[in-house]
Amino acid sequence: MSLAPTSLEVLAPVTGRLIPMAEVPDPVFAGSLVGPGAAVDPSRTRQRVIAPIGGRIAKLHPHAFVVVSPHGRGVLVHLGIDTVQLKGVGFRLVAAEGDEVEAGAPIVEWDPTAVESGGRSPICPVVALGATADDVRVVADGGEIAAGEALLTWSGPSRPGIAPTP
Amino acid sequence: MIDAKAIVAGLGGAENIIEIEPCATRLRTEVRDSSKVNEAVLRRAGAIAVVHAGAAVQVIVGPEADTVASDIEELLE
Repeated sequence: MSLAPTSLEVLAPVTGRLIPMAEVPDPVFAGSLVGPGAAVDPSRTRQRVIAPIGGRIAKLHPHAFVVVSPHGRGVLVHLGIDTVQLKGVGFRLVAAEGDEVEAGAPIVEWDPTAVESGGRSPICPVVALGATADDVRVVADGGEIAAGEALLTWSGPSRPGIAPTP
Repeated sequence: MIDAKAIVAGLGGAENIIEIEPCATRLRTEVRDSSKVNEAVLRRAGAIAVVHAGAAVQVIVGPEADTVASDIEELLE
């Protein structure tokens, strides 16, 4: 596994309000068990979710995806909490697993309002998979953030074994 | 690398597993007897963490969860 010498900029995948990872209503994300990052409470409007970094779509579920950079750093975007239970209803994929994408490319369309009215939190954790907490800095100011704006910088490698191979 | 066979053992064996479903980074499982779940075995099998909520046990394995779940389902058949 190659070391990642450059700092990676991670974009906000959705438009909404920035919230600290520790406030995500799920113990796995709040505890940064799969990695540190930040979360966005999305605007309650149908919106396109974009790739937070450039690379390969290593995993694509309707409700979550992982993009892996050429250096092997993987970023997970999870659309809402417990949304695997929706079995894809309300999500429309506009990319395919294995695609090479630029940062900012559209991946999924969804409606956070529908997720919320089904009784689930639509909060979106953005996770630097297997990163060391010290290597990840939240660069967005608090408050509103638009999809495509800088959210995080990640200056180190992924812990080996956690990110899918690029 | 996650050892699917060892995950099954850590969950108390095939007969203890009622359901197993992959999420983006975790296996959501339902077990008959949660006292048979062995966290040390699950961690040695490659799990990052284990979250208990009664009979529901979440095994955090990272983004290969879907692959691991299908390997486990093959073992259970």
